[in-house]
Amino acid sequence: MPERRRSVTTADRLGRMLVVVPYLVKHQGATIDEVARLFDIAPTQLRRDLDLLFMSGLPPYGPGDLIDVDVDEDGAIWIRMADHFARPLRLSRQEALAVSVRATELLATPGVPEAPDLQRALDKIAASLGGAEGMEAAGAGEAPVHLDAMRDAASEHRRLEIDYVAASTAERTSRTVEPDAVFASGGNWYAAVWDVDADAERLLRIDRVQTVTPTEVTFEPRGLEGVGRPLYRPGEGDTTVRLRLSAEARWVAEYYATTDEHDTGDGGIEVSLPTRRTSWVARLLLRLGPDATVVEPAEVADEVRSLAAQTLARYRT
Amino acid sequence: MGADDAIDGIDGIDKMQPLERLLNLVGLLLDTEVALTFDQIRETLDAYGGDNADSAKRKFERDKDVLREYGIPLRLADTDAWGVEQGYIIPKDEYYLPEIAFTPEEVTALFVASQNGTEELAAAEGVRKLLYGADGGLLAGPALGPLVAGSDARGPRVLAAVAAADARRRVGFGYRTAQGAVSDRDVDAFGTVFRGGHWYLVGLDHERDRIRAFRVSRCTTDLDDAGQGSEPPEGFRALDHIQAGPWVAAGDERALVAFAPASAALAETAFARATRERTDAGGWVVLSLPVADDAILAALVLHYGPDAEVLEPASLRDEVIRRLEALAGA
Repeated sequence: MPERRRSVTTADRLGRMLVVVPYLVKHQGATIDEVARLFDIAPTQLRRDLDLLFMSGLPPYGPGDLIDVDVDEDGAIWIRMADHFARPLRLSRQEALAVSVRATELLATPGVPEAPDLQRALDKIAASLGGAEGMEAAGAGEAPVHLDAMRDAASEHRRLEIDYVAASTAERTSRTVEPDAVFASGGNWYAAVWDVDADAERLLRIDRVQTVTPTEVTFEPRGLEGVGRPLYRPGEGDTTVRLRLSAEARWVAEYYATTDEHDTGDGGIEVSLPTRRTSWVARLLLRLGPDATVVEPAEVADEVRSLAAQTLARYRT
Repeated sequence: MGADDAIDGIDGIDKMQPLERLLNLVGLLLDTEVALTFDQIRETLDAYGGDNADSAKRKFERDKDVLREYGIPLRLADTDAWGVEQGYIIPKDEYYLPEIAFTPEEVTALFVASQNGTEELAAAEGVRKLLYGADGGLLAGPALGPLVAGSDARGPRVLAAVAAADARRRVGFGYRTAQGAVSDRDVDAFGTVFRGGHWYLVGLDHERDRIRAFRVSRCTTDLDDAGQGSEPPEGFRALDHIQAGPWVAAGDERALVAFAPASAALAETAFARATRERTDAGGWVVLSLPVADDAILAALVLHYGPDAEVLEPASLRDEVIRRLEALAGA
């Protein structure tokens, strides 16, 4: 765990004490490590703050205001504290809304097992602090069939045999994978896995997993990045495709990780699309038809033409 | 020893840690039943003592700023019924979190929701305050990691939109439509909706005098507060104003499309209300798909390249062939 995440101001430390101390008063015997993890503090920093509390003591407002902090050899914290620090500071409106925003995003994602508990927790918060006015979420839809199997494997560190269809090629392949992290982004579920045969990291879309067979083999997690990772990572040997999109096809720039965007003045846009494989870009161009053209490289323009010809052949037999 | 201590040293009052001084100040002002003047605070807290009253006052002013920066409700109030003097107090009902008891499952769910892998900290800070109410702590286990990467918009703008709707504010912002037209908008915020990975702000667009939905990720500027907004009409539901994509078909018309064996399963989940009709030679699967618009469905089917073939209606098949001929240069 890094000792220093960012520079800690006095206001930060004050805020932390006003939140951590009430938690410790109520949860006697909580350990240094557990509290450090929950509150995202370095354990040494937490010890320093607790030492300070113990050393300083508050002015004697009354006989019940003594402070006593004890950390035993197992790292369990026992604390006696003035009554006025026995309850935490209330959430700011901004914080309460931010919690609702995150919770709403989770609730609108299909297949989240925590959803019913989360909804109950939100209802309790709304009853005490007032709910967020006018916040709504569209129905969650259906979870991918193999989501639970992938999440179980990720939490048990269990190796899986899967059949997977890559959207870029529509090829069905059998793979042996070790799922490290399972997460949702933009309404889809993904698994960051180690592909054992390829000996490389891969990102799978779980709705494209066709079959899952657990094995008896377990693995040591590699800490592959889950939530928040970019869905595409540039790599060596990638091709950058320059596309000209009409106004109707602008959504491509919002949907994919494009760069060097340049408005063309007629409502359209030019973008660069870096990619490991060009086959899926050719299929995308087939879909976009008159709304997109390949500026460069010429090989991709050729690929689109030949893919169109190949598809057309089906209609002419 | 940090920089703050050095400043204290220059002031020549004491070497007390600023954190300790601030905790004492919060404790004192929470504990008191009546507002305390600075002189009264000075009498109780040694940290503001000493001979140099001006220096102590400056330090106190700085400390007040720190408390307010952290969101502590520090109020100025009359010290007695005659209102001769004013002093400082932290009202208990404004400061303390109400008791909200959570089961371990509930608080775990909140914890998971607040961890979303971004730099935006307000939700995590809020949930840490709520951890206090955890009845028996959190559920341990590897599932405690973050699960959902939220939306496509930057955190602060989503929060600003949510806060504007929550307080019924009027806001101004730059906006780019899906078709790329950029203009300034003047909107009474009524509500927010999360759908398909996107946050939308729904409100009255003054220029157009109509209720419109704006995808937050398409805002080109921050939201500027422009005062109190209006109330939404009776029975308002933000969700009603988010248009379904044009590819969501409403009618009864259907098309038959054959998909290659490997693509059929993908297509079945990708197209809403798709049904499996039959399996043809070579394992090709024929799906019946609802048609919204020939051009739109043709585009969606073409995304499958040579792994899909429209069988009927003829109009859709012709549309696909026309597009392919243009692309193939045939």
